[in-house]
Amino acid sequence: MLEAKNLTKRFGATAALDSINLRVDPGEMYCLLGANGAGKTTLINVFLNFLVPDGGEARINGLDVTRHGIETKRLVAYIPEQVMLYGVLTGLENLSYFAELATGRKSPDDELVALLSDVGLDRTASSRRVSTYSKGMRQKVGIAIAMAKKARALLLDEPTSGLDPKAASEFSDLLRRAREDGVAILTTTHDLFHAKQTGTHIGIMKRGSLVANFSSETLSHTDLEALYLQHMQA
Amino acid sequence: MVTTIARKDLQLLFRDGRLPWAGGVVLVLLATALLVGWERRAEISTERAAAQLLDYDDWVAQPERHPHNAAHQGMHVFKPDPALSVLDPGIDPYVGSTIWLRAHLQSELTFMPAQDATGLQRFGELSPAWVLQILGPLLVIVLGFDAFSSERELGTLRQTLSLGITSRQLFLGKALGQAMAVGVLLGPAAVIAALATFAGSGAAIGDIAARLGWLFLGYSLYVAAAVFIVLAVSAIVRSSRLALVALLGIWIATTLLAPRAASDLSRVWYPSPTRLAFNAALGADMGHVAEEVWQENFGLSTQWSPELPLDKWGLALQVDDHAGYGVMDRHFAELWDTFAAQQRAQEWLGLVAPVLAVRAFSMGVAATDFSHYRDFSLAAERHRRVLQDVVSADLVKNADPRGTGHFDYRAGTDLWQHVPPFQYTPPSVAWAVGHTMRSFGVLLATLLASLAAALFAVSARRAA
Repeated sequence: MLEAKNLTKRFGATAALDSINLRVDPGEMYCLLGANGAGKTTLINVFLNFLVPDGGEARINGLDVTRHGIETKRLVAYIPEQVMLYGVLTGLENLSYFAELATGRKSPDDELVALLSDVGLDRTASSRRVSTYSKGMRQKVGIAIAMAKKARALLLDEPTSGLDPKAASEFSDLLRRAREDGVAILTTTHDLFHAKQTGTHIGIMKRGSLVANFSSETLSHTDLEALYLQHMQA
Repeated sequence: MVTTIARKDLQLLFRDGRLPWAGGVVLVLLATALLVGWERRAEISTERAAAQLLDYDDWVAQPERHPHNAAHQGMHVFKPDPALSVLDPGIDPYVGSTIWLRAHLQSELTFMPAQDATGLQRFGELSPAWVLQILGPLLVIVLGFDAFSSERELGTLRQTLSLGITSRQLFLGKALGQAMAVGVLLGPAAVIAALATFAGSGAAIGDIAARLGWLFLGYSLYVAAAVFIVLAVSAIVRSSRLALVALLGIWIATTLLAPRAASDLSRVWYPSPTRLAFNAALGADMGHVAEEVWQENFGLSTQWSPELPLDKWGLALQVDDHAGYGVMDRHFAELWDTFAAQQRAQEWLGLVAPVLAVRAFSMGVAATDFSHYRDFSLAAERHRRVLQDVVSADLVKNADPRGTGHFDYRAGTDLWQHVPPFQYTPPSVAWAVGHTMRSFGVLLATLLASLAAALFAVSARRAA
């Protein structure tokens, strides 16, 4: 579903992405670990066609994102570190707006309220202005938007960063459900525990390169931590 | 997609209070200006119509007297106040409304309301046109300066573009949202303005409706150009604060300073004479021509020489007046052509300061611009010549044959009634629109240029 082939992106002399190769199939969740500046967000931006690669290809459902930017964006949902919504609108109004943009049709309020309820926002919360929301509540609206869009792939950029443990756990449960529904997920994170718990595959990025790539089942949490530190210190 | 974005933007403008507050202030000003304009027109129209009748009654009711004395008394003609002066009084407050038609000399409009005004009026007449021309773009800036920049700052731009929305769809949605916001305010105001224009106006409904339609179109182009410029700046500038500062700078330069600069520049490019110089040149030419015709017709080297036999006094008057017509036509045409050239220059400057183009267009359609002033002045001068010719012909026929008794001749009501009342039919809407096509074209060009700039700015910015 999501595929990078020899993907390269340079900013001047710096290689933000250096011949990245990875693949995320439906029902898989690929967790990208790495220090700040490793190139994780750049990879997400290339998949979203916000950045044009200097070499290689990023494909979504077999379509090159550079040549089919609009079509590929319609297949994915993007959830950043902090889901950005309009503060003066309610959660329901935000969902209604973004869902209509994503699907091209206006969904009935009842359907949207049910979606918000599914992700853990009750009717009272969904009718409050988003300016009163916690970060976790915003992330839930982000997931609801992805669900309304019926996205076949999710691109997540450190989505649990800054969430309290309960909110992070709830968010992880939502992602697990999405994965079980056949959604392909590519997420960047600093959270090794979260990666091991929810990911099916884990990659480690360093200075634009994918230095490790393995199935999460093949490593224990302790092994993962050791491997990660080994790469970071090398 | 486009309407979804537009509806959301309109909702945001309501929720954050900008539309109710900023729009409310503009609406109150518009309503005030409309009320003031309506009252002014009601008062002026009644006054002028009554004065026109009374003045003609005075002319007809003159006692028996020598006709040339009557021609010196002359009569006044009053420029009818056009129906759309409620919306745009144009140059009327500055050029006056009344022309004194009297023997020998062409007069200009006098009695300018601006002469009685306070210093505040130097800033501009509070009229709906002034509010739209000056405050309209400011309202668009307040509503739209952060249309793109705040989305970028908030991160909602990435969120939106990640959904597969193209930059162009987003731009069109935002433009429509701005248009809807302005429309919510100005739509009802336009209906009220139309009703106020129709109410109490004696003009034909079709004529007023056509003028209102053109005016609506012209202001729509102006506001749309403002929307595109605001969106272009908001898309290209990094922060909302910078966008606001840049747009306010553009507004001050193009809306407040440009009209003054354009006026000065147009006078430099096409210098117009001072009144003193104009009168001196006109007098000198009149003198030369008079010398020639007096020599040719009466063998006299000076005008009104005591050697002129009294049995030719009426004829001399006729010849002298007719000799001056061409000179006056030439001098006034040169003067007015210079004013027209200044006006044209200002309209072309509308390409950089659209307020100049919309101002000219609005005055033209409202029939309060210089071309209408010129048309009225020419009609008044034609009537003055009728008056003068009727009187001179009567002198030739009835006074000259009396020889030395020429000045004993007295005419009465029969002669005065030979001069018809002044009746002026203002130019049609087609004439008015024909005279404003340049400013309309400039407005259209500005709109297209601003649209191109906005599309370029939006496509030049990527979300990341």
